[in-house]
Amino acid sequence: MDAETLDLARWQFALTAGGHFLFVSLTLGLATILAVLQTRATLRGGQPVHTRMVRFWGQLYVINYAIGIVTGLVMEFQFGLAWAGLGHYAGDVFGASLALETVLAFFVESTFLALWMLGWDRFNKWVHLAVLWVVTLTAYLSAYWILVTNGFLNQPEGHRVTEDGTLELGDTGAMLTNSSALLAFGHIAAAALLTGALFMAGVSAYHLFRRRTDDSDGFYRRSLRIGVYAALPALFVTVTFGGMQEENIGEWQPMKLAVFEDNSEEIARLQAEMTERFGPGDYVPPEALTQGAGMLMMAVFGLITIPLLISAVLAAFRRAVSRFRVWHVVLMALVPLPYVAMIAGWVFREAGRQPWVVYGLLRTEDAVSEVSTTQMWVSVGVFVPLFALLIVVNWWLLLRWARRGYTEPRRPPEDSRPEPVAVATY
Amino acid sequence: MELIAALLLGFFFAGYFVLGGADIGLGMLLPYLGREESERQLAVAGVWPVFLANEVWLVATAGVFIGCFPALEGELFSGLVLVLVPLLAGWMIRDAGLWWGRQAPRAGFWLTVVGSWTLALSWGWLIASLLTDTPTEPAPPALGAVTSLAIALLFLAHGMGFAALRLSGVPFERARQVAGRGAGGNSFALTSAVMFVLPLLAGARLPLSDSAASDTALRLVVPALLVILPLLLAGQVWLWRTFGRRVEGPAPAYF
Repeated sequence: MDAETLDLARWQFALTAGGHFLFVSLTLGLATILAVLQTRATLRGGQPVHTRMVRFWGQLYVINYAIGIVTGLVMEFQFGLAWAGLGHYAGDVFGASLALETVLAFFVESTFLALWMLGWDRFNKWVHLAVLWVVTLTAYLSAYWILVTNGFLNQPEGHRVTEDGTLELGDTGAMLTNSSALLAFGHIAAAALLTGALFMAGVSAYHLFRRRTDDSDGFYRRSLRIGVYAALPALFVTVTFGGMQEENIGEWQPMKLAVFEDNSEEIARLQAEMTERFGPGDYVPPEALTQGAGMLMMAVFGLITIPLLISAVLAAFRRAVSRFRVWHVVLMALVPLPYVAMIAGWVFREAGRQPWVVYGLLRTEDAVSEVSTTQMWVSVGVFVPLFALLIVVNWWLLLRWARRGYTEPRRPPEDSRPEPVAVATY
Repeated sequence: MELIAALLLGFFFAGYFVLGGADIGLGMLLPYLGREESERQLAVAGVWPVFLANEVWLVATAGVFIGCFPALEGELFSGLVLVLVPLLAGWMIRDAGLWWGRQAPRAGFWLTVVGSWTLALSWGWLIASLLTDTPTEPAPPALGAVTSLAIALLFLAHGMGFAALRLSGVPFERARQVAGRGAGGNSFALTSAVMFVLPLLAGARLPLSDSAASDTALRLVVPALLVILPLLLAGQVWLWRTFGRRVEGPAPAYF
């Protein structure tokens, strides 16, 4: 396989998966907050402010979710398109989790999203609430199956080698409980909650900063507090799962850790050891990228922690929440940071395991499809600009709607609404 | 197990053609059915929100394919890159148009139309490729072009029947004139049958039984699919019962 095709396939996967990940981060976190908000709104039926909060944040959630789905459609096909060698060698193992993701999670998720977003006036409020919980839980299930797939690639367990040298699924339980998958799931689920919570705090801070909207019912004050108090525990859970992964990485991918720590002696030792085990080759991942991404993730954690701790104190004071405009600006500035950490963490995880696609078993260069460079150029030339367009327009819309604030939902014309039920009166 | 896996694959693929084909066909017909702004909005409302529940059948097809026949999936998809790239791009553009149409009706409308046509024509080329002796290579241009047009016509006919069942007012009248009497019911039943059989015929030529996944993998995936299937179908029925009635105005806007 020529080097240009390989590079293109890698760039395509990196840019499209990274682009998709930007949507997932916000969606997963906002879904969780929204499900809790709607539960509270349903329990306390009397307070319209709660329902209005579900509507407003739900609107932003749906805008982002929609294009997240659109970008996700390609991801599933990309394994076959660009990485047929991987499917041929290990598809028996990781294909199963992808299949279960599509049917057990996504199929349900998408159907129920439609039922939720247009079901406001159609269903009993408890049914409508249950629909949102189904959407939220299947979103987590989806993340789980994808991380089972990714966990296997990072830390192959549960497979056995067949007669023709390819892999097949041997131990289903081992595949489903892979520690690399489970730890990454905890890490990413919490980080997504952090992303959603800081988004909520930042958007609320914007409205409080501008003072244009009447906040007498506490719509934005409440939202800001929810954002801050959800972000704080989410941050600590994220960090805890991040730290727990270190030992795992040390055991399964010591080279990644050595590169991150810039320990040249250890790198040389591991390179020699792996050359002996796997034959001649370069077993050192791209050092600057791996190390830089890991450092960036840690640095962003630091940048978020201190303002967030102070925010947790300030959020207890109503006057500060309404009037402390410098703090509002800080909260707005925090919004992009979890995204930076998400992408950096993902680059650290994926770049740091090179040259392997299935760690210790299959090299990335052997996984790429047998397609011509021209074909790969066509694919990159179509998908990369398309993803860029989707991301830009999505954020433009998201910010436009976030700035507009809560507005009453547009109603369908009278005649298309369901018939009111005739009540018998005597 | 292999046989059940192949049947599930066929079921999802055929289901996509019948259900997804209907809203894709309607998407292709939008400029014909809706000529004024209100007509256009009504015609677009016919696609909402059922396309969300229809396209998941294709996602499930691809999932079952990679889970139960992984090696073949890679061979086929990498062989058909030039067909699948426009297919996926058309799908994305169409969906983006449907979502953004709520903010920018004009742009959304045309993105939906262009995406729907790209998608239908690409399906034609893909079906043509599957029907040749070398399914893992794109069909030659002449055969591909002819089949694409034929399949696009089939999508149009299917979409027209769907429009006659789904729409009202002037767009409905336009669809009914073409789809025939019986409010479109008859032609829709016929095109549905063709849409169901066509993907099965094309898929039946793939060497599925030689390329099934291992028993362990199938024993994980197939029973899980069989258990969830009644629930998936119940969700579909629920959605169609709630939103599948004839539309009489623009889509109820959530945002």
